[in-house]
Amino acid sequence: MNVLIIEDEKALARELEIFLSNNNYICEVCFDGTSASEKVAINLYDFILIDLGLPDYEGLDLLKEAKKSNPEAAYIILTARAEINDRIKGLDMGADDYLAKPFSLLELQSRMQAITRRKFGLKNNIIELGDFLVNLTDRVIIHDGTEIASITKKEFDLIAYLILHKNRTVTRNQLSEHIWGSIINDDYDSNYIDAHIKNIRKKLNAHASPEWLETVRGLGYKIKIST
Amino acid sequence: MKLRTKLTLFNTISKLVIVTLFVLLLPVLIKNLNVNYTDTRLRKQRDEVLQTVRRQGIGSYIQTGESDYAAYTPIKDVYVSIEEDTLGEKLDTIQNEKRKVEADTIAYRILSHNFKADRKNYLLEIGISLDSVNERTGPLQSIAFIVLVGMIILTIVADQLYSDYILRPLGIIIKTKLVGNKFPNFGTFKQVETSTDDFQHLDLSIHQMIQTIESTFQKEREFISNASHELMTPISILQSKIENMFEEETVADELKVRLLEMQRILNRLKSITKTLLLISQIENDQFLKEDNITVSALLQEVYDEISIRLQDKNLSFEMAVHDDITLTKVNKFLLFNLFFNLVNNAIKYNRENGTITVEGIKEGNNYVVNIIDTGIGISTTDLPIIFNRFKKLKQALQQDSFGLGLPIVKSIADFHHIKIEVISEKGVGSMFKLVFNLL
Repeated sequence: MNVLIIEDEKALARELEIFLSNNNYICEVCFDGTSASEKVAINLYDFILIDLGLPDYEGLDLLKEAKKSNPEAAYIILTARAEINDRIKGLDMGADDYLAKPFSLLELQSRMQAITRRKFGLKNNIIELGDFLVNLTDRVIIHDGTEIASITKKEFDLIAYLILHKNRTVTRNQLSEHIWGSIINDDYDSNYIDAHIKNIRKKLNAHASPEWLETVRGLGYKIKIST
Repeated sequence: MKLRTKLTLFNTISKLVIVTLFVLLLPVLIKNLNVNYTDTRLRKQRDEVLQTVRRQGIGSYIQTGESDYAAYTPIKDVYVSIEEDTLGEKLDTIQNEKRKVEADTIAYRILSHNFKADRKNYLLEIGISLDSVNERTGPLQSIAFIVLVGMIILTIVADQLYSDYILRPLGIIIKTKLVGNKFPNFGTFKQVETSTDDFQHLDLSIHQMIQTIESTFQKEREFISNASHELMTPISILQSKIENMFEEETVADELKVRLLEMQRILNRLKSITKTLLLISQIENDQFLKEDNITVSALLQEVYDEISIRLQDKNLSFEMAVHDDITLTKVNKFLLFNLFFNLVNNAIKYNRENGTITVEGIKEGNNYVVNIIDTGIGISTTDLPIIFNRFKKLKQALQQDSFGLGLPIVKSIADFHHIKIEVISEKGVGSMFKLVFNLL
């Protein structure tokens, strides 16, 4: 998939490019609105990531302009100015999602995958994990044909996030940012993810061993799926 | 005491003192006046007698062969007497003496004067009875008293009216610019009408003071807002770099552990920045209040997010919403964060196997939510400062927090006009009481 990254902070643009390229996206980078405007006029992209705070261009104008030449693309707004009105305006103007800086790269990827699934209709939503089947659409875990009802919404969110980033160590911080990211409180170093994982293991163990859910010592958690 | 009351009091007291003094002095004054008047009359009479003697001779009073002359008015209040003087002393006095006239003894004010006529010495006595002198004292006194009282009442009323008029601008300044939550009042400046320079000066000074405070407030908010916005980009770059390095296969696991430590430090910076930004956004009125939500639904959402944190200390959580109501025109995101932070504190500062109770009760026109814990409590000396930014209390030091939890709570509560009361006992627990005014 083709991604256009419009971001005036070169260091950040570079990290986005590295990350997305490693995850098999084809990236182009613009550091200002003028060159971005030229690029969207000529090329077609699947994803356009727009930083609203460009020095030479009003971000929302650029979004409007790009929408004309690239109506099929998915738009994600990235911004450091977390103004509430910007968010509403951006989504009103047809952006698919909105990420306030600072965001986790994994979060960006999961948003992009969610949009892909929605927009491009990927149906492969039942994942086999050992003796379990995880249905990402209906948000249930099934063992021997019966649903494990005790799994809570939060717990399913965690499993789904680990599946999305399968075979990759996801840190506690990345997990808690995904689960509690929007809550503002003054804990910056909580280990409540461990409690969640403990509960998930206990609930699944009653049916079969979830050996695919690995603890990576000192680093985080990982779901292993052989491809 | 109000300035007006003080002025009125002073006016009244000073006038009462004057009246009392005057009333005390009045008899003496009137008496003196009377005596002077009488003496003048006596002397005038004397001069008339002497003039008659000089012009017509002593014979007009004393017939040849007689040695004295006396004349009375019918009620004996005035008499004139002339007789030959044998002593020959020089005499010219006025004094009070008694005289026997016919059968009565009467007190007189008597002028005594001797003169020579026809080579003989004569003594002239003119007397005015003291009764007739004193007769005038009474009416004079009462007239003076009435006039005085009337004048004093008049001046008190005039003083009162004038001080009312002149102090009115001060009252307006106090009422509209200084009282209660009106200070500092950042509304538009409306000059108070007055011709008194001092009040104009006061009015203007207060206005300038408020402007200074307002611009300082504004600058502080702008600074916090700008600073936290500006910090977001570098934090974002660092976070992306750490995440990308973490993914590198060539980076050894022990280095990744250190990367995570860096990420944790960065998280702290991120949390502080996000929190400050939130507070500044609340204070800049950037949030809408358009949501409606029932208390039970809101608390249930908080519970769903936070219940995992109860496990660690084996805490029990009781939700007792006795009267469920719908909160209207609120910001759900903010209220969620308010309750989340309070319940989170109740968890963080609780003891093993402790309890947390959340109650919702309707009390008259108010709705009250109590969040009660069995935690370490807050000492009385710390209570006034718990809502201050970055104030970390001693007992909170072992916690991973930076002292912005309660400031968030305070900002959100202020934004929604929710009153917060805190009751706490060290070692027993705390109760945070949120009072929603339903009117």
